[in-house]
Amino acid sequence: MQDLLAARSQMAVSLGFHIVFASIGMAMPFLMAVSHFRWLRTGNPVYRDLTKSWSRGVAIFFATGAVSGTALSFELGLLWPKFMEHAGPIIGMPFSWEGTAFFLEAIALGLFLYGWNRIPPWIHWGVGAAVGITGVLSGVFVVCANAWMNSPAGFAWVNGQAVDIDPFRAMFNPAWKSQTLHMTLAAFEATGFAVGGLHALLLWRRPSSAFHREAFKIALLIGSVAALIQPLSGDRLAKGTAVRQPMKLAAMEAHFRTERCASLMIGGIPDAEGKCVRYGIRLPYLLSYLAHGDFQAEVKGLEEFPEADWPPLSIVHGAFQIMVGAGSALAALSLAFLFLSWKRPELLVHPRFLIAAALSTPLGFLALEAGWTVTEVGRQPWIIYGIMRTRDALTPMPGLVYPFLVFSAVYLFLALVVSWLMLRHIRAVEKSGA
Amino acid sequence: MPEIPAGHPFMLWVVIAFLGFSLLLYCLMGGADFGAGILEIFMGRENRRAQREIVDRALGPVWEANHMWLILMVVILFMGFPGVYSRVSTNLHLPLTAMLMGIIARGCAFTFRHYDAVKGRSQKPYNLFFAYASLWTPFWLGVVTGALVPGGMTMEPTGYLDGYVRPWLRPFPLALGLFTICLFALLAAVYLIGESPAGPIRKRFARRAVAASAAAVASGGVVFWGAENDGIHLALKFAGSLPAIACMVAATVLMPVLWVSLTREWGWGSRILAGGQIALILAAWFAVQFPVLVRMREGRDLTFFNAHAPAATLNQLGWALIVGAALILPALFYLLRVFKTESAARDID
Repeated sequence: MQDLLAARSQMAVSLGFHIVFASIGMAMPFLMAVSHFRWLRTGNPVYRDLTKSWSRGVAIFFATGAVSGTALSFELGLLWPKFMEHAGPIIGMPFSWEGTAFFLEAIALGLFLYGWNRIPPWIHWGVGAAVGITGVLSGVFVVCANAWMNSPAGFAWVNGQAVDIDPFRAMFNPAWKSQTLHMTLAAFEATGFAVGGLHALLLWRRPSSAFHREAFKIALLIGSVAALIQPLSGDRLAKGTAVRQPMKLAAMEAHFRTERCASLMIGGIPDAEGKCVRYGIRLPYLLSYLAHGDFQAEVKGLEEFPEADWPPLSIVHGAFQIMVGAGSALAALSLAFLFLSWKRPELLVHPRFLIAAALSTPLGFLALEAGWTVTEVGRQPWIIYGIMRTRDALTPMPGLVYPFLVFSAVYLFLALVVSWLMLRHIRAVEKSGA
Repeated sequence: MPEIPAGHPFMLWVVIAFLGFSLLLYCLMGGADFGAGILEIFMGRENRRAQREIVDRALGPVWEANHMWLILMVVILFMGFPGVYSRVSTNLHLPLTAMLMGIIARGCAFTFRHYDAVKGRSQKPYNLFFAYASLWTPFWLGVVTGALVPGGMTMEPTGYLDGYVRPWLRPFPLALGLFTICLFALLAAVYLIGESPAGPIRKRFARRAVAASAAAVASGGVVFWGAENDGIHLALKFAGSLPAIACMVAATVLMPVLWVSLTREWGWGSRILAGGQIALILAAWFAVQFPVLVRMREGRDLTFFNAHAPAATLNQLGWALIVGAALILPALFYLLRVFKTESAARDID
């Protein structure tokens, strides 16, 4: 295996693993805060049990997310030292803030998990909410840095060196708002539907359980709101990408020729050699509208860029289709959920709706992983868009396939153990008859 | 003291101070945390469960925060001294990867053993992973730190071994790895005395603390031996620096005081003494090394003065650290106050 491919694969495995735990760490505290709030307000023990049960599960995800995040802060340097050397002074600022937020999150988490009966109830609640706020802030800061890789700003690049560095403008680069919004919503959407779906399945098996009914409603409410805002945020991000990274947008849409009134390609297999897409469905004018808000607008095609620089089209286009498909399914389910909650709440626990919700369990995380694939693979061959190529950032150390295999084995093993622990956790909750 | 070139931004000093502060707190808090796992290997079979409960209770609420100091150090190096970060991650890829594996295994095993819904046979592998990863990780931490000094780091490796193995596979870094293990075990034993109820377990922690401090003295000797073998004349260097001599003398004088304190099972007294010793060792180290961060084979060492980021970046970093500390320290203080008061050490959810 080539070193570059091995390093990219290790990064993909590590990020793909970490992002699941990081997202749960961002969103779950808010689910717990809702349930915790209701316990303190109503005194209904179902909410207390739910908060405690969620927090016991979440502790496992937090710890795994914290250690895999620590590993990532080193892996960036282990695999891409040249990138970190140049990027550090420019984009270190969000990382330094992320360090602060992460630190506060770890402190708040310790207080929250072990604080029952130890600190005053409402302060305890506030500490739980602080876990969520600092978690979201950590995520926002990290995504700011990623947004900078997509739309570098805050420096001038002279003879392979960064000069006139302005860390503030680098952090608040043109893409930061739309990318952080999109990712934060994705974390809530993915977590909401994963948790709601699991409880829906358990509720379907035991319809009388108030525990699962309340859990299902809280999780789906948060997931649904996020899922309905997400298409708008995605639209904004895509419009920005059309301007900032036209090649990435063209790869996402498998759009080869620069044209006005461009049509949107749904599905299909891009053929880079034949410069066409097979088996796709074409929706005329729509791409022009989605990219630029005008049915007649010109959309740049891949032909504008040297073919050697194209990212792998089938991966980027395919991942984009998966993300949009899964996101649309969740948005439809969200509409149904909100409509039923408003008009016919008794139908929420109808077996068919519960099965639909249970089937949606993996969709949010599927969309999230696919979305990150689009962002990262779609930026190739650049690590800093238009400035530094990924291969030029690579560590000179040979034999990178071995670290890749070690990390993959460890993360695969951990994924299995965490899944097994969740199963045991659920079984224990079921046995206690909640 | 080496000459300090003029004209460096004031924030450089703030950033250096925070780097030192984070290193000290990581050694103290993260060190006690690692050490607790190390001790589990050496505690004997009696009352094992009760000892583990003490460790769980003492670390549970704070362990994630303890390891954030490492993240802070990474951030400071990466943003403030990017050339150092990239050089270290290139030449020390292998020991850093080994350390990361330990960090992952240890954190997960510790959490899993507490949060596994079924407390059964699975506890055994968790305990094993936790204990041995606690031994493994600080060893590599010491190796990585030690490798900065002998001048084995190189920009132009002649081969794999030369570039990625020889910088760290040498006497001094390996000896420092051993020394780190002993110091961390000492810190943990001392720390856990104050976390245990009076009785046989507390006595045992006190005895382990004495053993660990003896091991620390012995492995400290190995460090000097390793340094001589690596061509670092550590003893001479120490002798040439007044602050370093003062720190080492003070650390040595504190040793018998610590032993007395341990035999009397003083909780806080022993903590302050052991923590003070670590601080003195680090201070002596700093006095000898300053301003060099990484010694290069080619001769052009990376120092605080020639490897720092531009002033605009240091300013942002300095302010981020000041504001961050203003937020983190009160929160950390609250966390420790809630869980580390005597009355709180008993009941846990």
